[in-house]
Amino acid sequence: MAAVHEADVAIRVERVSHVYSQQGRTVRVLDGISLSIPRGEFVALVGPSGCGKTTLLDILSGLAPLQSGHVLLAGKPPEPGRRDTARMFARDALLPWLSAYRNVDFAARTRRGASDDARGAILALLKDVGLEGFENTYPRQLSQGMRQRVALARTFSLQSAQLFLDEPFGALDAQTKLVLQDKLLSLWDRYRSTVVLVTHDLAEAVALSDRVIVMSARPGRIVADVAIDLPRPRSVRALQSLRAYHDTYARLWQELERAAGAADVDAA
Amino acid sequence: MSMPPEAAGDLGGAPVAARRGSLALSHHAWIVVGRLVLLAVVVAVWEALARNNVVPAAFIGQPSIFLPFLVTKIMDGSFIVGIRETLTATLAAFVIGGIAAILTALVLTASHTVKALVDPFIDAMNALPRVALVPLFIVWFGLGTLSKIVSGISLMYFILLYNTLAGAQSVEPDHIQLARSLGLSKRRIFTSIVVPTAVPSIFAGLRLGLIYTLLGVVTAELIAGGKGLGSLISYYSNTFDANGVFAVLLVLVFLSYVLAAIMTRIERHLTRWQR
Repeated sequence: MAAVHEADVAIRVERVSHVYSQQGRTVRVLDGISLSIPRGEFVALVGPSGCGKTTLLDILSGLAPLQSGHVLLAGKPPEPGRRDTARMFARDALLPWLSAYRNVDFAARTRRGASDDARGAILALLKDVGLEGFENTYPRQLSQGMRQRVALARTFSLQSAQLFLDEPFGALDAQTKLVLQDKLLSLWDRYRSTVVLVTHDLAEAVALSDRVIVMSARPGRIVADVAIDLPRPRSVRALQSLRAYHDTYARLWQELERAAGAADVDAA
Repeated sequence: MSMPPEAAGDLGGAPVAARRGSLALSHHAWIVVGRLVLLAVVVAVWEALARNNVVPAAFIGQPSIFLPFLVTKIMDGSFIVGIRETLTATLAAFVIGGIAAILTALVLTASHTVKALVDPFIDAMNALPRVALVPLFIVWFGLGTLSKIVSGISLMYFILLYNTLAGAQSVEPDHIQLARSLGLSKRRIFTSIVVPTAVPSIFAGLRLGLIYTLLGVVTAELIAGGKGLGSLISYYSNTFDANGVFAVLLVLVFLSYVLAAIMTRIERHLTRWQR
């Protein structure tokens, strides 16, 4: 991505490594990760579980300390609670004692303070994700899919320039997943945030992203960085019958296989 | 692989709420009838055993005697004094012990060091059967109301402390991460995440604690005498009046039932998001 002008780089990661110590043993989870993501790009991180995808996301969101290397988000180091970053979790992380509306409101209020037009914006977002009529429902009374819709609305209510999504649809059934992926795409089309999406679902990565970064098994290294040349705006459903989509998927699958093979050799 | 537009997702996504029909109501009515029948059977068997001297009425009392006795004692006000005495001490112990427990839990949740320091001592105190301390409380605080209240507090305090601590520790790591990613301060994480998480177990502790406080007070009254319901039980059993004992026991059952029902009401209101 050398062609990208420096000012247009939203996320720059340089030689980031990370170790965990576990019962006296140190485990290296990330090994010399470098990448740069231009503003407004939708990037997916894929790789086998335990490859450090979530750790990298934690470092970007400031939830895990940076041990070595450099990270800059819009020119500044990561920090928890930065107004221009938002994090979405694998499980919905909704507060069960707050209604759907209040869950979104709680996040928006924490970030941007109370304002009169906030209410209208939150109601509109909840409508966008298909939750009209469920504003006052508590999470316990919502299905998993509906809870993740609330979480999606909450994430976008923060209006952050950088979104870090950690397997947001991992726990959903195939059909609900398709619906929510399209919701995500249409919200992204509107806000054009820079997105880093961690997923283990290659089809999801191809369908949603501009670029898929493939990581090796632990310790995580970048083994492939593939641009996805599919037309925008996309509909995940329409993609299913598009030849180019399946070709891209197949090509990326081979990359991933090769990466896994290389990692095996590495580990041996 | 064509999907019907929109909607296809969230199969079975309808809210779980509002699913109570008329069938459930009639089922509930049946249960109530069944309970009344069960009660009637128990009372009838009891009466039969005592009346036919299968078990001497002097041991187990006789419903046809102690039920009217109970009514007279309530009408002429002689049980009311005992009820007032016992309830006052119970409520005092409940409030004092409750506030002390919540404050302690606050300190222990805020400081890991203090918690690590006192943890084994709290465990040891909790393992001690506090009812066994009642005679000591009487020595320390006299035969009056104070020793009863202290006895109640000794039960209330630990029950609520344990429940509150357990509740505060059950905070989901995801919620903390969310709060941090939103930029909440440590203090706001405590007030907006930890406290609401602990509310259900705090209320479970309050409900359980209230009943045990009553137990602590009555135990002290049994030993110390005075005017409370426990003292009445002790008086009747010392005079071999089983009917008197059962009459007072019924009052106690009723009181603890009412107290528990009030707590459940408040609890259901404050934790309505759980259902």
